Amino acid sequence: MITDRNGKAIEHVCNFNYLTEMMGGKKHLIKGIMDAFLVQIPDELKSINDALGKVNFASVKNFAHTMKSSVSVMGVSILTPVLKEMESMALAATDIEKLYELNQELTLICHLAIEEVEKEKEKYV
Amino acid sequence: MDNKKQINVFIIDDNKVFSLALRANIEKTFKEKSLKIYLFEIGEKCKSMFKMVIPELVILDYNLNSDHPSASNGLKVLEWIKKENSETCVIMLTSEDSVEIAVKSFQQNASDYVVKTMTQFNKINYSLKNIFKILEAKTIARKYKLQRIALLVCIAFLLGGIAAVQILSASLHK
Amino acid sequence: MNKKTKIKIFLVDDNKVFTLALKADIEVAFKDMCVVNIQSFETGEACMKKFQEEKPQIVILDYHLNSNNPAAADGIKVLEMIKRASPDTNVIILTSEDSVEIALKSFHHRASDYVVKSETKFKKINYSLFNLIKITEAEGEARAYKNVNLILLAFLALMIGAAIAIMIIKPSFFK
Repeated sequence: MITDRNGKAIEHVCNFNYLTEMMGGKKHLIKGIMDAFLVQIPDELKSINDALGKVNFASVKNFAHTMKSSVSVMGVSILTPVLKEMESMALAATDIEKLYELNQELTLICHLAIEEVEKEKEKYV
Repeated sequence: MDNKKQINVFIIDDNKVFSLALRANIEKTFKEKSLKIYLFEIGEKCKSMFKMVIPELVILDYNLNSDHPSASNGLKVLEWIKKENSETCVIMLTSEDSVEIAVKSFQQNASDYVVKTMTQFNKINYSLKNIFKILEAKTIARKYKLQRIALLVCIAFLLGGIAAVQILSASLHK
Repeated sequence: MNKKTKIKIFLVDDNKVFTLALKADIEVAFKDMCVVNIQSFETGEACMKKFQEEKPQIVILDYHLNSNNPAAADGIKVLEMIKRASPDTNVIILTSEDSVEIALKSFHHRASDYVVKSETKFKKINYSLFNLIKITEAEGEARAYKNVNLILLAFLALMIGAAIAIMIIKPSFFK
């Protein structure tokens, strides 16, 4: 189990209410979006990792930025402050150690989110 | 109201998950309208299709360079769109709330400015509702304009006909 | 936008500083575009008292209205009252917290727009007003065309009628 920034324990990182409400329960639409999420998130994580390896701050900033949009669709709200912090740290282009740390947190939560999405997707086949 | 006229919508955003969700949301909210939605990752990729389709509406993200570092930003794409067809309505999306982007987009005749937050899809729905209303009223005005021309032509014919008969009959009786 | 278009706007917000700033901002932003007349109210109840007599085209309505008057109705209730009194009035809902619930509720109650009081709030309200004024103008134009067409149609019918009447009464006229 993981905790949010206020130390509160969190059972699920995703919140599917918004997605299902928005799509009016249309199964094929929800499944399509989940499929895209499952492909895109590992790609984005890899891109951030590569960029951090090359100490390419501009790239880290761009991917952190675009990931905010991706995770918002699955309601992974605990990632919003993490990604925002990564974005502003990358913009300042100073503390790479702190960015590694944030990246670990990001990777962990994303893997949990992927697991949850995979499980949730079974409802829609 | 004229709902049968197809409205072409372009979504330009380099985040596929977001674009797919947005498309699904629009199709669900405005299911009574006949919409055709096209997705593009960057502005550069929509250009040839734009010239063919001339969309009524474009939903355009400001940040488009995550996968393509050299991609133009949203303001540049907006400028291109307005030059290509000034009638196309553009909704500008941004992840960060920025007065600068809001003002610049307004100066370049964007129709709306939406910040990507929790309520992003709700805000876009409001925006679309208003833009669809403008488009519909314009279509109706255009229809009445044509109708007026037709009526004026009818009246002209009728008057001309009567005048012609008068002249002809007058000359015949002489 | 037509310079002669007259737009009457009601502002309903219990924060006086905000209302004054917003009023000034709108007046400056639209001064070359149309004539705006803005009236401010602290509560929905006060706004409704003036509503029937003034009939504003646009109401900018804050969701939280009970900071000074604990019993004041919230924005959604006022929105309902406005839409019942005049379905064609456009209402922009303002809120200090970004909430899916308020956004959805307002949409279902036929609000025209939803604006979060963030850094760009004034800009966003300008976009909103601009679109709403455009709707009003485009619909007005469509209506004007329609009315003229009706007059033309009546005129045409009258002429045909007259021509037929003359033909029947005085056939020699056309010979």
